[in-house]
Amino acid sequence: MGVHGPTLSPLTSVLLDVVLLGCAFWLLAKPTKRPIFDSLFMVTLVLSVSFIRVVMQPFPNVQPVTVAALLVGAQLGARRGAAFAVLVAMISNFFMGDGWWTVFQAAGWASIAIAGSRLSLVTSTGLNLGRACMASIIAAFWFDFIVSFSILDGTIGFTEFIVYLGHGLPFDFLHMIGNLTFVLWMGSWFTQLLEEDPSLEEIEFTVVNGHGIDG
Amino acid sequence: MALLFASLFVVPVILAQAPSTPWDETHSFSWEYDFETGYISTSPLFTGEQLLVRTSGHAEPSVTAFDLSGTKIWDRANPASTNNDMSPLLHVEAGQGECGSWPEMVLVGWTNGLVEAVNPSDGELLWSTQSEVAGWGVTGQFALDEEFVMIPTRKGIGQYCLADGQQQWWTETGLGWRNGVAVDETGYFIGDEAGQLWHINRTGNATSHALQLGKIRHAPLFTDAGILIHAQSDTSSTIGIFNPTDATLTQQIPAGPSPATPVQQDEYIVTGDSSNMRILHCTNACVVLDEIPFHTNGEIGWFDNGQIFAPSNLPDSNWGFFTFDGQDNLTYSPIEVGLHGYGTAAPIQFSDGVATFTAFGNDQGILRVYSDLEESGTVPATNFDWGEQMLIFGMFVLLGSSSALLLSGKREWFLRTSSLFVLVIVVLILPDLSSQWSKVFDEQFPEQASPEEWNEQWPDAWLGTQIVIFEMDGEEHSFGGFVGHTDVLSLTQVACKELDFELSGESTELGWYVESINGIEGKGWEFSVDGAKGIISVDQSAAYSTSIVRWTPV
Repeated sequence: MGVHGPTLSPLTSVLLDVVLLGCAFWLLAKPTKRPIFDSLFMVTLVLSVSFIRVVMQPFPNVQPVTVAALLVGAQLGARRGAAFAVLVAMISNFFMGDGWWTVFQAAGWASIAIAGSRLSLVTSTGLNLGRACMASIIAAFWFDFIVSFSILDGTIGFTEFIVYLGHGLPFDFLHMIGNLTFVLWMGSWFTQLLEEDPSLEEIEFTVVNGHGIDG
Repeated sequence: MALLFASLFVVPVILAQAPSTPWDETHSFSWEYDFETGYISTSPLFTGEQLLVRTSGHAEPSVTAFDLSGTKIWDRANPASTNNDMSPLLHVEAGQGECGSWPEMVLVGWTNGLVEAVNPSDGELLWSTQSEVAGWGVTGQFALDEEFVMIPTRKGIGQYCLADGQQQWWTETGLGWRNGVAVDETGYFIGDEAGQLWHINRTGNATSHALQLGKIRHAPLFTDAGILIHAQSDTSSTIGIFNPTDATLTQQIPAGPSPATPVQQDEYIVTGDSSNMRILHCTNACVVLDEIPFHTNGEIGWFDNGQIFAPSNLPDSNWGFFTFDGQDNLTYSPIEVGLHGYGTAAPIQFSDGVATFTAFGNDQGILRVYSDLEESGTVPATNFDWGEQMLIFGMFVLLGSSSALLLSGKREWFLRTSSLFVLVIVVLILPDLSSQWSKVFDEQFPEQASPEEWNEQWPDAWLGTQIVIFEMDGEEHSFGGFVGHTDVLSLTQVACKELDFELSGESTELGWYVESINGIEGKGWEFSVDGAKGIISVDQSAAYSTSIVRWTPV
């Protein structure tokens, strides 16, 4: 339609995918061993959100992944949130079209997941809806801004880049409205879905630690 | 949750539906003729018994006559005419004058400079005359002046006798394109590509006025306020009022890009461009009474019954139907005539004494004729659109729920329903919103780029025209000489046809996406217009009168 960004050779594309996948596994790796159930849950989550993104393709820039990344980051932490973002970008783009822009989409959603982990969106009473709405609005513009860098291929100047950003404002607005709608309708449900039950080791540690303090 | 997804998945179905309008309900399809190749670039002509249509471009340029039932009676081709023929056909009643007598005839001007007078009943040639060619020949609108026809040739204007086509005189003016002639008691007025308005008296003496408003590509219109010109510049246009008495411009009204041919009924004028249709009232001065967003760049049909038709010159677009209430309101509704896509030809209305017919033609080379149901007595078929009804019902439910939830103090649910309502609205309006936004944005912040340079190997006939370059396998394939294309898609399509390249793509919600050119798909195609990289869809990117479009595979 218009600007595509730099073209990648097949070898570069494979290398890029390997790097992205490596980042995702590095982010998922933790010093403590994670139960198989947790891994299965993450796989299901990634596949489901990727599928929703592919299905929502006819609606330009209505991006459920942005809100999902924000809430996964808020509930599961920065590492798993960023890994989730990278994997969803890779898997959904496998169906929607892979390229240089995948890196920027992965970076955009990963940064949103990290921001989600730092914004105290989830409190003891559940999702802070007001804060989540604000975060989702900012996330829409932030993600579109990050992804816009994918058009820079050495032939586009600063003014052209600003003009490109200006042309995209109606789509940024739609992304923002879409995010708000997703947060309002599914934010609380999705946050509960992601809520982690403490493991037996964690319960035991808490109890023992509590008795130790008491003693 | 179910409501959320149900509403969203209905949206694409709705977007594909065209609404029924009062015109659609009172008119029925009568017949059609598919020329298969070529464009219908100017209005058909009704001579009282025959309907004449001219076609050109990618087919043998010709004039074809039909009877009122759609049966082809005759056609007359001009294989030597190599460009798009768009000079309007002119019907001349039989008459006599000092230079002789003439039968009923139709005058046809061709882009190879040939002018022919033909018998409308059988297409027989009555006389012909050759005018000069400079890349193009005749493209403008003729005018009658007693026993003479005034012909706008490529480099000037000539007076020819209707009886035998003998040239009385010819005067050089400026290089012209689609520049029609206007006749008044002092002589003739004609514009040119350099923006000069010429006055030529009846002996052929010419005087020019450099208006500096832009290219003049229509016959000037005489109003009480002065001579009205809708002049075209690169990214906009200006409606100018010229006082011929003291040779001054008395008014300049800014308008959108690529103006259509303005039309007049008494003191009212209708103009169009890529941004708006507007109606002006011209007495002592011209006042814009009303304007409506609409994209039209060719002819406008304004009929005695007050109906105004304009082709929307966009891909997959339809026709605009306008009515003027005689005060200050112009109303618009789209009409469905089964012809979608680019078009610049006005329709024609005619009657056989029983029913009124309206004939439409566009760049697809299809002629479709509709008849007035009120007179023919046919009952219109109702077309119930379930998708549209479901969406409207859903929107009412959301709106009603939002109001009820707000009043009952359920803030969270109010926000949910109202956000979904707004989301659906924004999804529906996004294509138009982004298109309008891009236009406004481009007008406010025009791009600065190093323009494409003229290639010395290109023929001179391409100078001052639109050119398209395709980069394929390290080679450049170019074709030029195009005029009148207002967007990159239209220009690319015509260039591909000339070069015999297959162009494939798809229409998306974001605009038209080019998938392959001449079988080369790659990872997509990029384009630039005058050196500036295309950053919006190809159908929304404007092409100007001398634009050079370059296509590069990614």
